[in-house]
Amino acid sequence: MSRRTEFEFLGRVTIGQYLPTGSALHRLDPRTKLLVCLLLIAVVVASQSLLGIMLLLGAVLIGLALARIPLSFALSGLRAMLPYLLLLALLQTFAIPQYAANATVLWRWAMLTITDRSILAGILLIARFSVMVLGLSLFSFSTTTTELTHGIEHLLRPWQKLGLPAHELALTVNIALRFVPIIAEEAERLMKAQASRGADFGQGRNFIQRTRKLLPLLVPLFLVSLHRADNLIEAMEARCYLGGKGRTHLIHLQAHAADYLALAAAFALMALVIGLSTANADQLLWRLLSTYL
Amino acid sequence: MSTTTRKIVIAGVMGAISIFLGASHLGFIPWLAGAALTIMHVPVIIGAVLEGPVVGLAIGLIFGAFSLLQAAIAPTGPADVWFTNPLVSIVPRLFIGPMAWLAYKALKTTNEALSLAISGVVGSLTNTILVLGVLGLYRFLPWALIGTIAVTNGLPEAVVAAIITLAVVAAWKRLESGRRSSTI
Repeated sequence: MSRRTEFEFLGRVTIGQYLPTGSALHRLDPRTKLLVCLLLIAVVVASQSLLGIMLLLGAVLIGLALARIPLSFALSGLRAMLPYLLLLALLQTFAIPQYAANATVLWRWAMLTITDRSILAGILLIARFSVMVLGLSLFSFSTTTTELTHGIEHLLRPWQKLGLPAHELALTVNIALRFVPIIAEEAERLMKAQASRGADFGQGRNFIQRTRKLLPLLVPLFLVSLHRADNLIEAMEARCYLGGKGRTHLIHLQAHAADYLALAAAFALMALVIGLSTANADQLLWRLLSTYL
Repeated sequence: MSTTTRKIVIAGVMGAISIFLGASHLGFIPWLAGAALTIMHVPVIIGAVLEGPVVGLAIGLIFGAFSLLQAAIAPTGPADVWFTNPLVSIVPRLFIGPMAWLAYKALKTTNEALSLAISGVVGSLTNTILVLGVLGLYRFLPWALIGTIAVTNGLPEAVVAAIITLAVVAAWKRLESGRRSSTI
């Protein structure tokens, strides 16, 4: 492989990698995976219980194993973030006084105080983030963009009666995903063209100068994209595209027993985590541990 | 020309530019001490100005969803941890387009160039204020620091957004009228 130059962008667009291992998880209905993924994000954000988040982490790791994705590959996304994450957890532990109220002070030196709650907040932050990264990675490793688009459209269909343009929204997402590599290619060409005329991107004494130096790239990039959009609109209309109304599909999504099973398991787990969070399970566990140890 | 097809395609393409600006890091202009000004929200403003509030909303949704995904999958800094929360990364971004469109529509008749610049400022400030506001409500950051960030990062970002919105939309509209006059 040739060395990357500063003009190449395609190599850096890493989002949405797909690993075709053909596992049971890959064969699940994209709707199921989308729902579980959204549920996971909501529950991870809402849950205050470390125990619950650890359960979710276990579930995501089992999911990665089921999808036959090498653990080291999945963790590589997390590894790059680790230094920042530790820094932030430390910040959460030391500097933010919100956890000071009715907490046990463990250690105090000058301005710095550590309480049991601030330590918990730091650990929670790391755990929550790990679940989110691994969960979203698992989704993108096991779902193609086409499946994603179909999934979104089917899931939004019930809301169509209320006036939500399900098909249109799904098509918009699909066009956006399809256009990213095209725009990256276009930007590469533009940067080379402007550099050959002596352009110097993003240099300058202050931010207004730096912005003005970016204009020779940004303005043509927007204009070229708008022209491409115009061409696409014309092509779609030449083929009598009339929006979602009365449209039929080549691919019909069908939920199987495995999908219902996966959904039921996910809902049960999420309910358990929310239950643990509302019942203050962490404090109960802490008390149990401190009495028996 | 059917308006729905037009709206769908413009929203998709502007969403793609926003994703590209984020993924390639071209959308970040280096600023004081490692902090960066972002222009990822500019496609939202431009789309809203060109095609209306619904398109702005759709691009905002794509921008927000992408910034959540990017914060989770390919993070670039410590603040990205906060952006894995959809209340920080998605919800505030939905308002950028409609606000920018309102500003543009209110001022369009008086002076089009001015209205474009103002809509850039309004859209950008909507982003800054709502995102920082949510961060403040979550107590991720103390309010005093939020005020400082709003001034040191938010205001330059608004100026940058105004410059780019004006440059792109003015060029696009002039180009269209120029084309019309040349077809004999």
